[in-house]
Amino acid sequence: MNRALLLGAALALGTAAAGAAHAQDVIRVGAPLPITGPLSPEAKKQQRGYDLWAETVNKRGGVKVGAKRMKVEIVYVDYQSNTPRAVQAAEKLITQDKVDFLFSPFGSGATKAASSVSEKYQVPTVAATASSAQVYDQGYKYLFGTFTPNDTLTEPLADIVGREAAGVRRVAILARNDLFPLAIAQEMEKSAKKRGLNVVYFEKYAIGTLDHASALSQIKSMSPHWIFATGYTNDLILLRKQMADQRIEAPVVTMIAAPAYQDWIDGTGKLSQNVTSAAWWHPAVRYKGKDVFGTTENYVKLFRAAYGALPDYAEASASAAGAMLQLAIEKAGSIDRTKVRDALSAMNEMTFWGPVKFGPNGQITSLEPPVFQIQNGKPTVIHPKAIRQGELQLGVSN
Amino acid sequence: MPLLYFQILANGLVLGGLYACIASGFSLVWGVQNVINILHGSFIVLGAYLAYFAHLHAGIHPFLSILIAIPVFFAIGYGLQRMMINRIIAAPVLLTLTLTFGLDLMLQNGMIMAFTADFKKLVLDPPLGTIALGEVVLPVDRLAAMALALALTAMLYLILSRSRIGRAIVAVRMDREAAALMGVNVARIYAITFGLGVMMAGASGPLLAMIFPISPLGGPAYLGKAFVICVLGGLGSVPGAMIGGLVLGVVESFGALWFGPEHAVTLSFSLLILMLLFRPHGLLGRKGYE
Repeated sequence: MNRALLLGAALALGTAAAGAAHAQDVIRVGAPLPITGPLSPEAKKQQRGYDLWAETVNKRGGVKVGAKRMKVEIVYVDYQSNTPRAVQAAEKLITQDKVDFLFSPFGSGATKAASSVSEKYQVPTVAATASSAQVYDQGYKYLFGTFTPNDTLTEPLADIVGREAAGVRRVAILARNDLFPLAIAQEMEKSAKKRGLNVVYFEKYAIGTLDHASALSQIKSMSPHWIFATGYTNDLILLRKQMADQRIEAPVVTMIAAPAYQDWIDGTGKLSQNVTSAAWWHPAVRYKGKDVFGTTENYVKLFRAAYGALPDYAEASASAAGAMLQLAIEKAGSIDRTKVRDALSAMNEMTFWGPVKFGPNGQITSLEPPVFQIQNGKPTVIHPKAIRQGELQLGVSN
Repeated sequence: MPLLYFQILANGLVLGGLYACIASGFSLVWGVQNVINILHGSFIVLGAYLAYFAHLHAGIHPFLSILIAIPVFFAIGYGLQRMMINRIIAAPVLLTLTLTFGLDLMLQNGMIMAFTADFKKLVLDPPLGTIALGEVVLPVDRLAAMALALALTAMLYLILSRSRIGRAIVAVRMDREAAALMGVNVARIYAITFGLGVMMAGASGPLLAMIFPISPLGGPAYLGKAFVICVLGGLGSVPGAMIGGLVLGVVESFGALWFGPEHAVTLSFSLLILMLLFRPHGLLGRKGYE
């Protein structure tokens, strides 16, 4: 009887010890993502980026933590494209799944909502898809973002258009009424006004809008030189199609964020020609990183081998989030959350994504986002000069 | 300025044609069988995928895909009613709603697995283009959708008023028991009606594939519009969906102009609430079918 009890206790202890040993060899990173629901294409991009990072790290033996190597494991939770559930998912990952670190949910809105949870539990969190200032001005210490502020996209755009399209005076802006698309539209308005351009139209459309005809008729009646529209892939496919439906043409048409995605280029066909956009990264940039991926070329090569496609900025940003976290852990020599946070905060490293240095609010300040234009079905970088692939072409017609 | 008003009116009318296309089959099934078919939106999406892949792999024009969609979707609807919905047709409306809701979740997730969640779009080269009446520009694909909605509505009207099956459908709608006593095979009539409703969803899919990006989860947006249109136009009335669609299209278009595009969707649902309060049987509906 006693023996049996002892044996049982020993077994239980053994299992617990084995479990603990296992837990110590693996760094668990939680990733709440909208795997189902309208944002699911975005979640897939994030997953590809995180998975590529985890695979690459694990293939090389893991993250160097002090003297030993630890494998990484990404723990995904689906929040069904529902922001309140993203907050619950983040909390569940921290309290139940006991993850060591966190990646933010998708987009500025959900990132902001979930950041209060990771701050409460003091879990270092890297946001791969949040750029809006409202996310980083909360005074939080554990949130770090891979995207520079929105005006780093609109300022170079306005500079280029000002320099190379002399006749552009009237600007029409149509924005999806959503945190990031609206915030970047407001930045565009500021950048335009700063340069003496006349913003003749500024309107928002609701999430889930199926028809843009009225807004576009109104825009057409003002004959703007520059049409600036924001939204996600489905919004901007429909908008571009309806511009053609009404025979709207302009010297410059800019859309953010979709044209960086192949879905958008395929979905608009020839109508994609000469549409300009800006993003935080492009496969044509060339950096020699100290991170696990090394050079940008090597990252693009690994991504192609894994998924048979070119990475876009959202996919690369997810991989970069992992790479930054890894650099911080290796620098800290520990998975202690406070030490890793301090290492992130003090980071000044080159990566395949670009130079990484975070401002006091946790948002990256060191990147120079490229401006590009779709020319013959391909994104062509027109800024910055060092990686320029072509000149700005004027005239978007149907 | 007056020119802008003409363009907005034209936008509203062609949008209305599109809406009529989306709603007509939904209205038929709801009006005749008292079944709220939550699957309707996803069947439209499935029809859009049919056209997309037929165009991608076999170069079939979406207009031709409509002809393929008609028998395919009629068969799907007929089978679905015969095998599943007929079993609970006499139960309260909530039960059929729950059943079609569950089936809709399965269809949506099935489409995610089969087609991935990426947005797809049927791009014609050259595109159907636009025609101009003076300064007012109209896109041909939306005009085609309007024509299809009119054709389907007319066909349905003829079927219901002229054919034996149509008279039987009307008889079942008026009094199920009495129709059964007169020798009408009620189960079969229900299956035919449901088949017609699903057929109309599937047939409008190829047209919508030319206009909207296709996503496995696009169905609920169409369904929301269909609800508003049915309440506006009235249940139990064949031309109701046509009128409801046109009214909604015009209201949304002028609403977007006057109140800003962010309020167009709010406006359509406010209209739904007002109609439910003051004229629950709709513009053309008959009392008793609401």
